[in-house]
Amino acid sequence: MSRRVYITGLGMISAIGNNVPESFLSLSQSKTGIGKINHLTTRYKDEFLAGEIKLSNEALADLVKDNNPALNRNSYIAMLAAKEAVINSGIDTNDGLRTGVISSTTVAGMGKTELYYKEMFEKDDHLNVLDTHDCGDSTERIADYLGNVDYVTTISTACSSAANAIMLGCRMIKHGQLDRVVVGGVDALSKFTFNGFNTLMILDREWCKPFDENRKGLNLGEGAAFVVIEGENTLNLRKGKALAEVVGYANANDAYHQTASSPEGYGATLAIQQALTMSGLTPSQIDYINMHGTGTPNNDLSESFATKAIFGNQVPKFSSTKAFTGHTLAAAASIEAVISVLSLQNSMIFPNLNFTTAIAETGLVPETTLVNTPLNTILSNSFGFGGNCSSLIFKKA
Amino acid sequence: MDALIEKLKGQIIEQLNLAEVKPEEINPDSPLFGEGLGLDSIDALELIVLLEKHYGIKIQDPKDGKTIFQSLRTMAEYIKSQGKS
Amino acid sequence: MTKAYINGIGCISPQNSIDSEWFFDTINPAKGDYFDAIEPSYKEFIAPNLLRRMGRAIKMGVAAGNIAIQQAGIEKVDAIITGTGLGCFEDSERFLLAILNNDEQFLTPTSFIQSTHNTVGSQIALIMKCHDYNFTYVHRGFSFESTIQDALMLFEEGKETILVGGIEEHTPNFVILNRRAHKFQELQSNTPIWKSTTPGIQMSEGTAFFVLNKNKTDKSLASVDGIQTLYKPKTSADILNKLRSFLKLHGLILSDIDVTLMGFSDDVNFDQKLQELLPSIEKESVAACYKHVCGEYHTASAFAMWTAVKLIEKQTLPKVLAISDKAPSKIKHVLIINQYLGINYSFTLLSQC
Repeated sequence: MSRRVYITGLGMISAIGNNVPESFLSLSQSKTGIGKINHLTTRYKDEFLAGEIKLSNEALADLVKDNNPALNRNSYIAMLAAKEAVINSGIDTNDGLRTGVISSTTVAGMGKTELYYKEMFEKDDHLNVLDTHDCGDSTERIADYLGNVDYVTTISTACSSAANAIMLGCRMIKHGQLDRVVVGGVDALSKFTFNGFNTLMILDREWCKPFDENRKGLNLGEGAAFVVIEGENTLNLRKGKALAEVVGYANANDAYHQTASSPEGYGATLAIQQALTMSGLTPSQIDYINMHGTGTPNNDLSESFATKAIFGNQVPKFSSTKAFTGHTLAAAASIEAVISVLSLQNSMIFPNLNFTTAIAETGLVPETTLVNTPLNTILSNSFGFGGNCSSLIFKKA
Repeated sequence: MDALIEKLKGQIIEQLNLAEVKPEEINPDSPLFGEGLGLDSIDALELIVLLEKHYGIKIQDPKDGKTIFQSLRTMAEYIKSQGKS
Repeated sequence: MTKAYINGIGCISPQNSIDSEWFFDTINPAKGDYFDAIEPSYKEFIAPNLLRRMGRAIKMGVAAGNIAIQQAGIEKVDAIITGTGLGCFEDSERFLLAILNNDEQFLTPTSFIQSTHNTVGSQIALIMKCHDYNFTYVHRGFSFESTIQDALMLFEEGKETILVGGIEEHTPNFVILNRRAHKFQELQSNTPIWKSTTPGIQMSEGTAFFVLNKNKTDKSLASVDGIQTLYKPKTSADILNKLRSFLKLHGLILSDIDVTLMGFSDDVNFDQKLQELLPSIEKESVAACYKHVCGEYHTASAFAMWTAVKLIEKQTLPKVLAISDKAPSKIKHVLIINQYLGINYSFTLLSQC
C-alpha cells in the first residue's frame, strides 16, 4: 500500500481551452473564456454571459472520434479530458494493474433530456435519451473509452463534487483498493442549470467579480477536468513522473442551509483546518490559495471569513480563477486542481480578474495580475449546495 | 387594501406550500421571516416570482425583498405603490 | 479486515417494510409492470416546516434514516453517505417541466434546489446538525455499494458511527416513458423471475438506511464483512472466479454461504449471466431472490441488504424468496449478488454477529 499519492497526469477542457496547453496559454495571458452565449439554447442568451467550450457537439464528436448517437455533450468533454490526463501520465490501462475511474457530475444527461423530454411522450425517435440521463452514464463512457477499467463510481455533491472525487481516489489508493485512478468532474451547460441558478438570483449579467465589494453573482461555465492519481509504489515501479503530491484533503458539512453558506463559513473553516492537519503543514506554510470564489455575495464573504479564521492576519496570496472559466459546478474542483498543478509547475499565480475594491468587512485583496513566484504548496477550496465543503492541498513534487 | 391582503394570504400559502397554515392565522402585521411565519431566503425568492407572476412586478435585486416582504401589509402596500393591484 | 456492524435499519419499499415486524408474510404484487413504494405518514418523522418543500425521495430518505437512527439509539453520526441513481427525480422533472411549459419564465428555485442529488444527505445533516463527512454516490447499480465501500474505509480512518442509505423514486411520467421504451414487462405468473425468457423489468422505488458501527455493540443485528463491485464482467465464469476470490479473502468458500440472494430482475438480457451462475450457487449454497418483491431500481441492493439483515435476525428464509428447494439449516453467512442492467455487478457479504 502507498502512503503517498501523486498527480501524474492532467486533462482539461473548458472555456479557456480544449486541452491543458491551451488552458495554460489563456491563464498566463489573463484571457478569460467567458463571453456571449453561442451554443446553449435559452431565451436569455443575450442577457447573460457564460463560459462555454468553444466547440459544437459535432466538433466534439470529431475530436473523440466516435459518432455514437448515444453520446451527449457531457460525455464528449469528459472523455476528452480523461483521455488527455491518461496520455499525459503515460500509464497504460492494459498492463494488468487495477485502474479506477471516479467521476462526478451534477447535470449528467439533462442537457439532452431537456431537448427531447416532451417529444418522448409522442414519438419514439429519442427514447434512448432515457438511457443517458443519469450521472453514471458519462463515467462508464470514460471507462470504456480508456479501456480495461476495473472500478467505476460517480459522486454528486453539487459544486464540490470533483474535490470529493479526487479525495476518494487518493483514499482508495492508500487503502490498496486501486493501483491508479482517473478522477475528476464534468458538467456541460444546460438550460436546466442555467435557469436554476437564475431563479436563485445569483447570476451576474456582466463578468463576475470574485471577492469584489460590488460583486453581483457568478457566471456559469462548462467543462471537464481529470487527473491521474498514483501511489508511490506503482509510480516508482514504472519510473513515472509525479507532477504534484496530494498532501491534504478533507470534507466537512456546513449544516446551515440547503443552498447558502453560513455567514462565518463554519463548514469551510472545518474543511480547511482538517486538510491542513492531515498535511502536517502550518497555515504559514501555504503559499497560495485557489479560492472557490464564485462571485456571489454570500460565498465570497463566507469564504473570506473562513480564510481569516484559519490564517488570521497572514492570509497567503490568493485568487479565484472562476473569472476565467466561469463556475463549472461539478468540474470546478478538478479544473482548479489542474490550474493549481500548473501554478506549482510554472511558479505562477493566475490572477483574480475583474477585481477593483476589497470587501469592506474583510479587506482581503486577491492577486489581480500574473505573479511569478516560487510555489511549494497550494490550498484549493470547493463548496457546494447542501453545505458540502471540501479542501485539497497540493505540494510541488 | 384588506381585500388585497386576503388575496395575498391565499397566494402565499399556495406558492410556499404552507399546508399547515390557515389564512386567518396570518397576522397582516407580523413579520413573514424569522419569527411569525418563519420563512427563509428561499421563500423570499419564491415571493419575488409570486409578484412577477400575479402582479407583473419585476424585482431585479433580491436585497429589495427585505423591505418589501417585512409583513403582508408592507407587501400589499408595495403592490399598491406600483399601481398593480 | 474491517467489518461494519449494523445497529439500526429503516426501509421504505413496495412492501410493508416500514413496520419492523413485517417479514415477507404478506406480499404486495406489482401494479402490472411497476411497483410504487408504500409511504408512511411523514409527520411523525419530519417537522412540518421542512416537509412542505420535500419531494418524495427526500421524505422517504429522511424518514428511513430517522427509523434506522432511532433503532440504533444514537443522536450523532460521524458521517452520512447516500447513494442514488436518479436522485430527486420528482423535483428534477418539476423544474424541467416548468422550464419547458413556461418558456423559461416564472420559475421558482425550490424544485431546482431540491433536485440536487445530495439533497437527502444534506437534509439529514441539517436536521442532525452533523458537520462531518457527507458524500453522495450516483453511479447506477453501484450507488449504494459505493456507500458501503466508503464506510468501510472510513472505519479504518477512525470514524465510529456512519449512516448509509440508498434512495430511489420514480414519477408517473417516468414510468410512462420507460414503458414506451419497452423497458417493462408484467411479472409472469407461470415463469419465476429467475427463469425469465423475455426482456423487461418491473420498475420500482424505495429507500433503505443503515446505521453502521465500527465495533460490535449490544444493538448489533449483523455485520457487513465485505463488498466488491464488478464493472462489465465478460462471462458468468468470470463472475464465479471473482466470487470465489472474494469469499477466500474473507476466509470462506461458497458452501459456507447459507443463503445467496441473487438480483434476478426478470429481464432475460440482464439476467443471463446470473441464470448461468445459478446451478453453481444452488450446488453449494441455497439460492434466493428479491426483485419480485421490491422491483428493480438502481439501489435495489439496499433492499437486499435490509432483507439479509432480516434473514439473519429471524434465522429463516421465507418461502416467497426461495429459489432452491432445500432450506438453510442455519443462517450465519448471507451473500448478495446484485446486478443492474447486466453491467454493474456486486457481491456483499453479511454475517451473524
